[in-house]
Amino acid sequence: MKRLNKIVALLLATSFAFTACNDDFLNTRPLGQVSENAVWADPALAEAFVVGIYQGFGNGGFDEQMLASLTDEAIFTHPGRGITTITEARSNSADIGWVNGTLAWNQMYSRIRAANVAIAKMSDTNFPKGANTDRLIGEAKFLRAYYSHQLLRYYGGFPIIDKPYTLDSETFKAPRNTFEECVNFIVKDLDEAATLLTGKSRINGRATQIASLALKSRVLLYAASDLHDGPTAKAKSADLAGYAKIEYLAYPSGSRAERWQKAQAAAKAVLDATTGNKMGLSAPVSHAEGIQNYINNSMARSGGEAEIILGRYFINLKNENGGRQGLFNGPNGYNNWAGNTPVQLLIDDYEMMDGTKFSWSNPDQAAAPYKNRDARFYASVLYDGAQWKPRSSANQVRDPLGQIQTGTYEVTNAAGAKVTHFGLDTRNSPIEDWNGSYTGYYFRKFVDANPAIVDQNTWQQVPWPVLRYTEAVLNYVEASIELGQEEEARKWLNQIRFRVGQPAVTETGDALRQRYRNERRIEMAYEEQRYHDVRRWMIAPQAFSRQANGISIRGTLKPGKTLGVYKYDPEIFDYVYKVIDMDPGKENRKWLDKMYYLPIHRDEMNRNSELVQNPGF
Amino acid sequence: MKFSTAVRLFALTLFTYLLCLGAVMAQSRQVSGVVLSGEDNFPLPGVSILVKGTTTGTVTDVDGNFRISVPSDAAVLVFSFIGFVSQEVPVGSQSNLSITLKPDTKSLQEVIVVGYGEQKKETITGSVASVKGGELAKSPAMNLSNSIAGRMPGVVAVNRSGEPGYDGSSIRIRGSNTLGNNDALIVIDGIPARAGGIDRLNPNDIESISVLKDASAAIYGSRAANGVILVTTKRGKSGKPEFTFQVNQGAAQPTVIPDLADAAQYAEMLNDLDIYALPVGEWAAANQAYKTAGTFTRPNGVVRKAPYLPNELELYRNGSDPWNYPNTDWYKSTLKTWSPQTRVNAQLVGGNDNVKYMTSIGYQDQDGYYKQSATGFKQYDIRMNLDATVNKYVKVGLGILGREESRFFPTRGAGAIFRMQMRGKPNQPAFWPNGLPGPDIENGENPVVITTNATGYDRDTRDYFQTNGTIEIKVPGIEGLKITGTGAIDKTMQFNKRWETPWVLYQKGSGFEADGVTPKLVATVRGPADPRLTEANSNTLNILLGTVASYDKVIDNKHTINVLAGFNKETVSGNNFNAFRRYFISTAIDQMFAGGDLEKNNGGGAFERARLNYFGRASYNYKEKYLAEFLWRYDGSYIFPEATRYGFFPGVMLGWVVSDEGFWKNSIGKTMDFFKIRGSWGQLGNDQIFFGGALQEYQFLSTYGFSSYIANNTEVKTLLENRVPNTRITWEVANNSNLGFEGQFMDGKIFFEFDVFYNKRTNILWQKNASVPQSTGLILPAENIGEVENKGYDFSVGYRGNVGDFTYSVGVNGGYAKNKILFWDEAPGAPEWQRSTGKPMNTFLVYQYDGVFATQEEINSNPLDYKSITNNLRPGDMKYKDVNGDGKINPDDRIRMDDNDIPRFQGGVTLNASFKNFDLSVLFQGAAGARQYVSAGESGNIGNFLLDIYENRWTIDNPSSVHPRIANRNDQYFSSGNTYWFRSTDYVRLKNLELGYNLPSFIAEKAGVRNLRVYVNGLNLFTWDKLGVYDPETASSTGQYYPQARIISTGLNVTF
Repeated sequence: MKRLNKIVALLLATSFAFTACNDDFLNTRPLGQVSENAVWADPALAEAFVVGIYQGFGNGGFDEQMLASLTDEAIFTHPGRGITTITEARSNSADIGWVNGTLAWNQMYSRIRAANVAIAKMSDTNFPKGANTDRLIGEAKFLRAYYSHQLLRYYGGFPIIDKPYTLDSETFKAPRNTFEECVNFIVKDLDEAATLLTGKSRINGRATQIASLALKSRVLLYAASDLHDGPTAKAKSADLAGYAKIEYLAYPSGSRAERWQKAQAAAKAVLDATTGNKMGLSAPVSHAEGIQNYINNSMARSGGEAEIILGRYFINLKNENGGRQGLFNGPNGYNNWAGNTPVQLLIDDYEMMDGTKFSWSNPDQAAAPYKNRDARFYASVLYDGAQWKPRSSANQVRDPLGQIQTGTYEVTNAAGAKVTHFGLDTRNSPIEDWNGSYTGYYFRKFVDANPAIVDQNTWQQVPWPVLRYTEAVLNYVEASIELGQEEEARKWLNQIRFRVGQPAVTETGDALRQRYRNERRIEMAYEEQRYHDVRRWMIAPQAFSRQANGISIRGTLKPGKTLGVYKYDPEIFDYVYKVIDMDPGKENRKWLDKMYYLPIHRDEMNRNSELVQNPGF
Repeated sequence: MKFSTAVRLFALTLFTYLLCLGAVMAQSRQVSGVVLSGEDNFPLPGVSILVKGTTTGTVTDVDGNFRISVPSDAAVLVFSFIGFVSQEVPVGSQSNLSITLKPDTKSLQEVIVVGYGEQKKETITGSVASVKGGELAKSPAMNLSNSIAGRMPGVVAVNRSGEPGYDGSSIRIRGSNTLGNNDALIVIDGIPARAGGIDRLNPNDIESISVLKDASAAIYGSRAANGVILVTTKRGKSGKPEFTFQVNQGAAQPTVIPDLADAAQYAEMLNDLDIYALPVGEWAAANQAYKTAGTFTRPNGVVRKAPYLPNELELYRNGSDPWNYPNTDWYKSTLKTWSPQTRVNAQLVGGNDNVKYMTSIGYQDQDGYYKQSATGFKQYDIRMNLDATVNKYVKVGLGILGREESRFFPTRGAGAIFRMQMRGKPNQPAFWPNGLPGPDIENGENPVVITTNATGYDRDTRDYFQTNGTIEIKVPGIEGLKITGTGAIDKTMQFNKRWETPWVLYQKGSGFEADGVTPKLVATVRGPADPRLTEANSNTLNILLGTVASYDKVIDNKHTINVLAGFNKETVSGNNFNAFRRYFISTAIDQMFAGGDLEKNNGGGAFERARLNYFGRASYNYKEKYLAEFLWRYDGSYIFPEATRYGFFPGVMLGWVVSDEGFWKNSIGKTMDFFKIRGSWGQLGNDQIFFGGALQEYQFLSTYGFSSYIANNTEVKTLLENRVPNTRITWEVANNSNLGFEGQFMDGKIFFEFDVFYNKRTNILWQKNASVPQSTGLILPAENIGEVENKGYDFSVGYRGNVGDFTYSVGVNGGYAKNKILFWDEAPGAPEWQRSTGKPMNTFLVYQYDGVFATQEEINSNPLDYKSITNNLRPGDMKYKDVNGDGKINPDDRIRMDDNDIPRFQGGVTLNASFKNFDLSVLFQGAAGARQYVSAGESGNIGNFLLDIYENRWTIDNPSSVHPRIANRNDQYFSSGNTYWFRSTDYVRLKNLELGYNLPSFIAEKAGVRNLRVYVNGLNLFTWDKLGVYDPETASSTGQYYPQARIISTGLNVTF
C-alpha cells in the first residue's frame, strides 16, 4: 500500500510538472465576438457590419425628448432634461443641454468611422467581392454622408474624416473644414451612393438610390439658405458678422442663384424618381379623406408606406423606445407621460378648412377654435373634446367615452350642487397629475390610434421617417420660389394641400413664401424640420423668442343643464377658451444668436487644439 | 499529458486514498487528564497535546479534559495553547494528569496564514492583518463581508445595501489604488478567485481570515495588486467527536429610514412651487393670497388657484377625512418593524492521529423588510474537510463544499420599490380606509403591492459545488523537502426564473357604496398586459491544478531556511442560455411550454478564461532575530496577448527583532519586551480591466460584437467594432512599499503595531479618451497609461488585563489612505483648479456653493454675471463662487472636489470582557473623509421631499441665506452640480455587540452536554453620523435603495 502510494504520488507530481510546459491553453477566444479578419473575409458578415452602421439612427426622432420641444412646435413637460438649457439660450460649452444620440458629435463620428472602415475594407483587393458588394459600399457612403450632414446642420463645418484612424495614426487632430467643403464632400458621397445603389431592390430600413437623392436635396437646400450665405448671415446677425471663421458656417461669397438651382435640381431628381402617396391630385379631397390620408402618411400604412423614402422601423419582437411614442407623449389621463406637448403657437398656425388663417379676434373662431380646421390638425393633435382611445378600465367610470379632457368643467354632484371637475388630462387630474400637459394639447401624429395598443404598456410599430417624399416636394417648392418660378412652386405645393383637403394657394411673392413656410411647418410638424428651417431662414430671433403657450378651457353648464359624469358636449356646456403664456418659472424662452449652432463640447476643444469654437461660445 | 486526464487521475487517486484511510490504526496505553489555566484555574478547552517526537496528538475538550494514547512510559507530552507558555510533561507511570499552563501574555506565538503557508506572528515581515473566525461569528450579519468592517487595520468595508442576497460589503484594502478595478483577490483554502467569494461563507466554518496588505501578497502576483484576503476554513482535530449545534434567531430593520415631509408639508411645498412659476414681482402677493383665500388674481386678471387650499392643508393636518385627505407614511405602510432571520448550524469535529474531520451543515433564512414580503434569501450549505496521514510520507487533505443560495424577489426591483417610497406622495393613500390597496404613483407601482408576490416572482438560484484536494508528500531521503499537489474543481450553476403577472390596485370611482359614505372603489389591472416568463440558465466550471515544492531546514538552531516554489494552472469556462415567452392563456401555469408562440425569444453564449502561474518564496532568519524573505510570481494571463502575457512580480521583506538584541534587553527591554521593525517592497500585478463596471477582455484583439437592427420588418444581426486593439497591452503594476513596527509592553499586556505605506500603481489600464478627439470615431482600448499613488498608515493598539475573575481587553485599529492621480490622460486646457491630475480619483467637477440670494435686493446688488448658466436670477437662487475672478459665473468656475465617496479613514474599537461565565464583546466602527451627493432630483410634483429640505428651505416668508428655494425635481441651475449637495458621511457606529453566558460546566454536565452558551448580539445598533438623512454608508443620492440592516439576534450553542 505504502509503496503504491509513493509511486502514485510521485507520478502525479511529475505529471503536473509536464502539464505546465504547454501554455497554448492561455490563447482563449472571445466566444461571443467575431474577429475583424473573419468579418472582412465573409460577405455575409460584412453585410452585418454595414447594417450595423444604421444603428446610429438611434430611435430616429422617437426618443422621449423630441427635437420638437426645442422649437415653437412643442414644450417638454418634465424638468431636468436639459431642454430649457437650449430654449432659454443658456447653452455653454460645458453644458450644451439636451443633445440626442442621433446627432451627438461623438456618436456621428463613431458611425462615420464605421462607414470609413467598411469602405476601406470592401474596396481592398483582398475582400471577396460578392453580388451585393457594390450595394454595401453604396450604403456605407450614404451613411457617411448622412452622419456628416447631421454634423453639418447642427455644428456647422466639421472636420471631414474619410479614412479610418488607427492607434498608430500620426495625429488625431483634424481642423474643421469649410462649410462648402463639407457640402461638396457629402454631395460627392451621395452621388456615388446613388450610382452604386441604382437598380438595387428596396429593403425597408436601409438606404436606396432615392434616399441618396433625397438627402442630397436636403443638403443642397440648406446650402442655398440664408444662414449659409455669408453676406446674408452677417447682415442678419451681429454674432455671425463678428465671427472670424464665417467660412466654417457659410459660403463667404458666390452665386446664391446657382445654389438654389442645384437645390431645385436635386429635389426634382427625387420627384422624378418616385411619387409618394396621393400626390398628383388636381382638387382637394374631402375633409374626412384628408384626415385619413394624413394619418396614413404618418403611420406609413394604407398607401402611406410610399411616403417613406428611408425609415427607422420598429417591431414588437425587439421592444425599442421608438415604439413607445404613445407612452412618451400620450395624455396623463391614459397613464402616459405627455412629454412633448404642442404649444398654442403651433395650433394657431393650422389654417381653417377654407384655407384662411385662424384668428382669435374672430369671435366665432375664438368660441370654437377646434372647428373647421385644416385636416392635419385633427390628425396631429389631441385637443379638448377630441375622441380618443378608451381609457383604462378603472378610469372608464370617469370618462366612459374616451374623450380628451384638458379643461376645467362644472358638473353636478349627487346632491345636485355644481362642483368643479378637473379634466382627466390636466395637471389637476386625479390620474398622474405631474405628467399632465402644460399646454392643454397632446401630440397624436405618430401615435397609433388602434385601441388594442394600450400605450402605457404596449409598444407600437410606427416607423420614423428619416427621409420623407414630401420633404423633397417642399424642398422643390422652396427652391422654385426662391428662383422666382412661382407657378411651378404653387403646382407642387397645392398637391400637398389637395390630398389633405385644403384649397389651392394662389399667392405670389413674399406672401407665397410665407404660405409655403407655414405649409412646411404644418405638414412636417414634429419631424425634426422646424429646428433647422427656422434657423436657416434666420427667423429664429422672432420665432424662437416667443414664449411657449397653451390653452385654458372652462366649461360651465348652460342654464338648466345638469350632468354627473363629464363629457364634451357644446349643447350642455358653454366653453370659454383663453390662451395663456407659459409661466416664466416653468420655461422662459429666449433666443440668442449663438444658438444657431451647438457648441463643440469644451472637452473636445481641449482634445483637439486645431478646432475653432462656434460663435458666441 | 492532456489537462482533463490529469484532473481525472488526480480525483481517482484522492478517492483511493480515502478508501485506505481506515487501515492505519495503532495500539497503545491511554493517558487522560485535565488542563487548567494558571490565570484563573479554569479548565482550558482546545489545548493541543502532542506526544513529543511523533505526530500523535489531541486537544482538550470544553472542560479541559483530554485522553491520549502514548507508546510507552518514556513518552513526553507537549501541551501548547495560544497565549500560554508551552509545557513538556514526562508521562512516567501516571495515567491521570492535571496540568496547569502558565499564561504567556506574549501572543506572538500566534500563527498567521500567509500566501502558501503559515508564519508565526513573531517572524512575519509583511503587513498582514488577521481575524479569527470566532470573532466574525459574533456578528449576526447574514453576509460574512459585513462582519469585517472595523476588525482589521487598513481593511475598509463599505456596505451599500441591505437587500437579502445582495447585502455584501465592498472591501478595499488600504483604499483605492487604481482607476480600474480595486477589488482585492480572495483566496479560499488556497484557491484564488473562488466562485461565490467571501459573502456567503458560513461564519462558523471560518478558522481565520488574513489580509495581505503589502508585498507579502506578491506571491499571488498577477491579481494581488489590490491586496489579498486569505480565508481558511476549519479543519478537524484529534479527539473525541465534538458535535456543536447552533441556532440563532434574529430580526432586522433598516438602519435609517429617511424622514420625509407629511401630507400637509408636501402640499405646502407644491403651493410654493406653483408660486415660483410666476414672475418674481407677483410672488409676495401670491404667497399671501394662497395662504388666506387660496386664490390669487394676477395683475393680468387671470385668477390662479392654489394647488391646495388653506382648508385642504388643514384637512391633511388633522386627518379627519382619510378617504379624501390621507396622510401616508409610505415607509410605515410598506415595511414591517422587524424582519426575521434564522441561522442554524450543526458541526461535527473530531478525528484521531491519522484521520481528522470537520463537517458542517448550515441553513440560513432571511426575510425582506416588506410586509408580506416576496423578498428573501435562503441558503443551505455543507462543508467537509478531511485530513489523513496516510503514512509517514504522505498526507492527504480534502475539502468539499456544497451550497445552494436561493434569492427571491418580486418582479419590481428594490430600486423601483424604494423609489416609490421616497417619491411616494404623502397625500395619496397606500391603503384605502377599508383596507384595499390604493392607486399607484405610476406604472402600477404602489409599493405596498409590488413588494408582494402579487406581481409574480423573480427567483435566482445558485448552486456551488466546490472541491479541493491536496496531497503532501515528504520526499523520502531528503529531510525537509515536501511536494504538495493541489487540485480544485468548482462548479457553479445559476438558474433564474422571472414570472411577471398583472396585479390589481384600487382607485376611487364615482358615487358611494350603499352606506352612502364609503366611496366606490374600482379595481384596476396594472403591470404587464399578460403574464410573461423569462428563464435563464448558466454554468461555470473553474479548474485549478498546482504543485508546490518546499524545503525547510534549521541549521544549528540558528539559521532557519524555507524555500518554496510552485505553479498553478487555472481555467474557467462557462455558458448560458435564456428563453422568453408571453401570451400565456392564464396565470395558472408558470412553465415555459405553456406560453404562446408569438414573440417568443431565446439567447445564449459562452466564455473561456485561463491563467498559468509560477511562484515561489525563499526566507531566511537568524535566530528569529534577523528576518529576510523574497517572494516572486511569474504569471501568464489570457487577458494579454502572447508577447506581453507574462509578468514577473517580486517582493522583498526584511525584519529585525530589535528586542532580541542585548542592548535592548538590558535597557528598554524591561518594559518593552518585544519590538520588531520590518519593511517590504514589492511589485504586484492587476489584469482586471474594468470600464463601466464590466471586465473588458481581449483589448488586444480586433473583434466585432453583435447587435441588431430592424430591416424589412425582421430583426437582423449586425456587427459593431468593439474597439481598436491595443496589441501592446500588458500588466498594471503595483509598486508597494511598507514600513512598520510592532511591539509589546509588560509581557504583552499592551501591544501595538504601526505601518506606513506608499503604493504607486503604474501602467494603469485606462482609455486615452481625454486626449484623443472624438472626431477620430475610435473606440479606444485600455492602454498602460495611468499612474496613481496611494499613501497612508494603519495601526492597532491593544491592552489586555484582568482584575480577579474579570478579564478584559481593549483594542483600537484604524487605517488612513489617500490617493492621488499622478498621471492619466487628461487633456491640456482645463484650468488648474479643474484638473483631476494631482487629485484623488473619482472626484466631481462642480460649482462652489456660496450661499443663497435671500432677497431681490441682494440680486440687484450682485456684481457677478450669471448669464452663462441662467438668464433670470430669482430670490432663493444659489450663489456660486467666481473662482477665476473674471466677474462671470461660467463653466470655468467649477472646481475639482477633494473628496469622493470612499472613506479615507476607517477604524474600529473593540472591547472584550469576561467575568466568570459572562462575556461581552463590543465593536465600535467609524469612517471619515467621504462625501455623498444628496439629490432632490425626484422631489416636486413627481414625488415627496426630505423633511430636512422642508424644514430648511428658502421661502418667501422665511428667506434663508443658506438653503436654496425648492425646485421641481432638478429644474433650476442650482439643483445639481455644486458643492451644496455634497454632504459629509463621517460616522461612528456601534457595529457589533455580543453578550454571552456559558452555563457552568457542573450544570451542563448534568444536562448531558459539554458546553451550553446563550447570547444576544446586534449589528449596526446605533449610529452617530453627519449625513443625517440616509445611512452614512449609502451610495445612493436619492435614497432609492434597499437600506442597510440593523440586526438584533439571540442564539444558543450546544456542544455535545
